[in-house]
Amino acid sequence: MIDLAFISAWLAASIRMAAPLVLTGVGGVFNERSGVFNIGLEGMMLVGCFTAVAGSYFLGGVIVPTLLAMLAGGLLALIHAYLTVSRRTNQIVSGAAINLLALGLTNLLMRRFFMAERVRAALYPVLLPESWAKIPILGPILLGQPWIIWLAFILPPLAAWFLYRTTWGLSIRACGEHPEACETAGVSVIRLRYLCVIFSGLMAGLGGASLTLAELGYFTQNMTAGRGFVVLAALVFGKWNPILVSIACLMFGAADALQLRVQTFGWNVPYQALLVLPYVLTIAALVGFVGRTNAPKALGVPYSPEEE
Amino acid sequence: MTETRGNGAGMRRILGDALLSASRPAIAIAAAFVVSAGLILAVGANPLQAYAALLAGSVGSKASLAVTAVRTTPLLLAGLGVAIGFKAGVFNVGSEGQIYAGGAAAVMVALMPLPLPGFIHAPLAVLAGFLGGAVWALLPGYLRAYRGISEVVITLMMNYIGIYFVSWLVHGPIAEPGAPYPQTHLIQSTARLPILLKGTSMHAGILIGLILGVVLYIVLHYTPYGFRLRMVGTNPDAARFAGVNGPRQILTVMLISGGMGGLAGAAEILGLRLRLFDFFSGGLGYDAIAVALLGNSNPLGVIVSAVFFGALRAGANRMQQTVGIEASIAVVIQALAVLFVIGMGFRQRARAKAKRQDKSARAAVGAQSVGEGVQAQ
Repeated sequence: MIDLAFISAWLAASIRMAAPLVLTGVGGVFNERSGVFNIGLEGMMLVGCFTAVAGSYFLGGVIVPTLLAMLAGGLLALIHAYLTVSRRTNQIVSGAAINLLALGLTNLLMRRFFMAERVRAALYPVLLPESWAKIPILGPILLGQPWIIWLAFILPPLAAWFLYRTTWGLSIRACGEHPEACETAGVSVIRLRYLCVIFSGLMAGLGGASLTLAELGYFTQNMTAGRGFVVLAALVFGKWNPILVSIACLMFGAADALQLRVQTFGWNVPYQALLVLPYVLTIAALVGFVGRTNAPKALGVPYSPEEE
Repeated sequence: MTETRGNGAGMRRILGDALLSASRPAIAIAAAFVVSAGLILAVGANPLQAYAALLAGSVGSKASLAVTAVRTTPLLLAGLGVAIGFKAGVFNVGSEGQIYAGGAAAVMVALMPLPLPGFIHAPLAVLAGFLGGAVWALLPGYLRAYRGISEVVITLMMNYIGIYFVSWLVHGPIAEPGAPYPQTHLIQSTARLPILLKGTSMHAGILIGLILGVVLYIVLHYTPYGFRLRMVGTNPDAARFAGVNGPRQILTVMLISGGMGGLAGAAEILGLRLRLFDFFSGGLGYDAIAVALLGNSNPLGVIVSAVFFGALRAGANRMQQTVGIEASIAVVIQALAVLFVIGMGFRQRARAKAKRQDKSARAAVGAQSVGEGVQAQ
């Protein structure tokens, strides 16, 4: 039962499952590194899914719908940034409310505008000729995939370079560790946090777009089904490092792809065991069983410039 | 608060505080309705007609009231759990998982053909539900209390472990063979919660919620335990100097909070669904956060807010049937109300809080400012 064809198909599915997580995760790293907790990633992805499908349905193509999806995610993130950075409200409550808002709005609009629930939208094209996809390993995971998936390979190293090798990256990291020091050095903590939160919204929107338009082309109610929370797990498990977080996302995506196969092949393994993997591993990481996990020190702490 | 009783000025202040704390959620809810009216217009329906259907569907008749009570029950029980956590500065976002754990524990007891009368079997199953929820909160509670690990991430992760745990149960170990959906058999009739209103589905869960709401209010405000709890939430340093065992206090609060989530799951299964099935909660645990917040984390306020959201959910179904506006508008109204309430004048409290912030609070990711931030409203 387990042969090369099985492994190829599983790898290809793993990458497709992981790409939305990776794209969202790259944004999430910036957002949490700057000191803001964002459980609203789930809702931002969901809105991204919806906007991508709606955009593709009404306008056609994939580029404009993708940009609209990012914009939609970014708008929700702007609400989160305003509430948590400017108003200093609780970041969890704000994120939870954003998830609810996204769920309610997408349901409402879906039923209204897409008469049939499963409207087919345009998909991201596979750029390389089909024969390339037959190349072992590299074919299924990379060459035979639509181009949006390639972004999931390109962006994490870029993000890591930005975060660890540029002054901006240093400021972001400082902002999440010791915002007062950051401010003293002349960097506006408020502005930086706004930018990082909005960036994570844009990326979650992109992640949502990749979830629908890479393979499915339709929107279903609550179709992210907790993927935003898997990303939150990956952020912790990957120690807020873009590369490690992406590897965690790949692992979790692979587990997800495997559980679908466990179900279809009827293997005698509870597939739920694979689905809980991200959460169990993350708790283990937090407790200290799997290496040490150091969250950014100021993560979740609102910054008030008026005081020392 | 209690020290000002009996004093005229104090009374006025208490009344003033109560009015003030109730006015903000009220304004937020009103604003949410106005914005949602715009949305209803945008999707091509008449908001007045829609809201009339909403009202009729929630309080318009005996049957509607019963539906409101049924919808209120899990929101109330889980909302009380989240609220008591808030009071102690503990952010239990794991209600969803605790609901699943409580539902699973309750159904185990309820499926057993015990030779017991209903007035023993049903309470036993309810108790099992409480314990199931508490067990689900044990790990995050212990880690927060004794290891300083943020309960936020752990409880979030426990949610999905709970959801998939129940999914596994109803697919395998306690699945009803040949059922069209992953589910268990119907529970024993002796384990069902009694129906309060003949001909409706209004079950005794609402009574459990109302009674516990009052009990929790009394515990919070009139017992030493409640005093210590609030002290740990508002000023952990002072509590430590006063000799309060902070970690133990936090662990017990977490267990109670989780237990309340478990009760919500148990009531849903034993009173309404009568069997356990895949994804039975569908986000009630997250709604509970909104309920606790708009109820100002005060158990009596939570009762009001849970009834309000229960009515909203009940009426939304009627609205969908008669006006054709999707019931999910209720979710939008709820989300907007939360966003508005936290957006309104939270700032001063956050500032006052930041002054007191100590290192241990910083270690608790996202947990800070919840305790009093939420109370302050």
